Amino acid sequence: MAQPDSSSLAEVLDRVLDKGVVVDAYARISLVGIEILTVEARVVVASVDTFLHYAEEIAKIEQAELTAGAEAAPTPEA
Amino acid sequence: MSNKLYTYGIVEQEGLELDVEGVGGAESIYTVDYRALSAVVSDIDTTDPERTDDAVEAHNDVLQRVLEYDGGRTIVPMSFGMAFKNGRTLKGVLRGAQRALRSTLNDIDSTVELGVKVIDSGEDETAEEIAQAGMTDRLSEASINETENDLFSDRLIVNKSYLVDREHRDEFDAAIDTIRSAHDDVTVQYTGPWPPYNFVDIHIGTDQQRGGR
Repeated sequence: MAQPDSSSLAEVLDRVLDKGVVVDAYARISLVGIEILTVEARVVVASVDTFLHYAEEIAKIEQAELTAGAEAAPTPEA
Repeated sequence: MSNKLYTYGIVEQEGLELDVEGVGGAESIYTVDYRALSAVVSDIDTTDPERTDDAVEAHNDVLQRVLEYDGGRTIVPMSFGMAFKNGRTLKGVLRGAQRALRSTLNDIDSTVELGVKVIDSGEDETAEEIAQAGMTDRLSEASINETENDLFSDRLIVNKSYLVDREHRDEFDAAIDTIRSAHDDVTVQYTGPWPPYNFVDIHIGTDQQRGGR
């Protein structure tokens, strides 16, 4: 039976450079507070192509954690 | 001492350690956990690795190794160059993005991506008509989802990526055989298995940067 080939550099470049999870440089080098992280996920698998913004919900979770405990995440000035 | 981490992808929480050549000269990869998630990483001395063909291939080789490791793993692939200053910054991002990452891991559970390009190699003008008359129907049936990629050449009549359950790999392979035997005047480029690059779209930034866009 046919077997896929994984050695094509063009195919590798197409995927590795253009696709996959992207994390902005600032979030990779700074310890940022969760409340300023923004997460956008396009759900490609679902039948409806939905663009979800997680940021608001994350903010809510963070708010709950802050209220519950004494977590002081450093917040860089915008 | 450098404790920067180059990340390849995210798997469900698991301790993995493999000897495989990584980006920036690393000789092994391991995992960094945050709750139910593990990031597949290797040590690196920069947060801005050079984008050479070798480095890009090393990134992909690591992902394919994990994808096929010991019966297979589900992995959310990172784009090239996602190096973190240290474990704390990585965990901070995993923490902030855990919902999106876990939901994506769930969506692509037990799947791989397979690429199919069909190229018209003959003079026969009807090749395109044949393609449109359901050549790829069996591929669609054997897969969970598919994305249409750019038809960048007139001779390219199909350019798709398919999300395929590992258990249906044989069906998909057989469907490729069927296309090849039914159409002499086309070349079928069948590639993979890839981590589901075309079915993962997550961008993690900061409010600070959004303001500047």
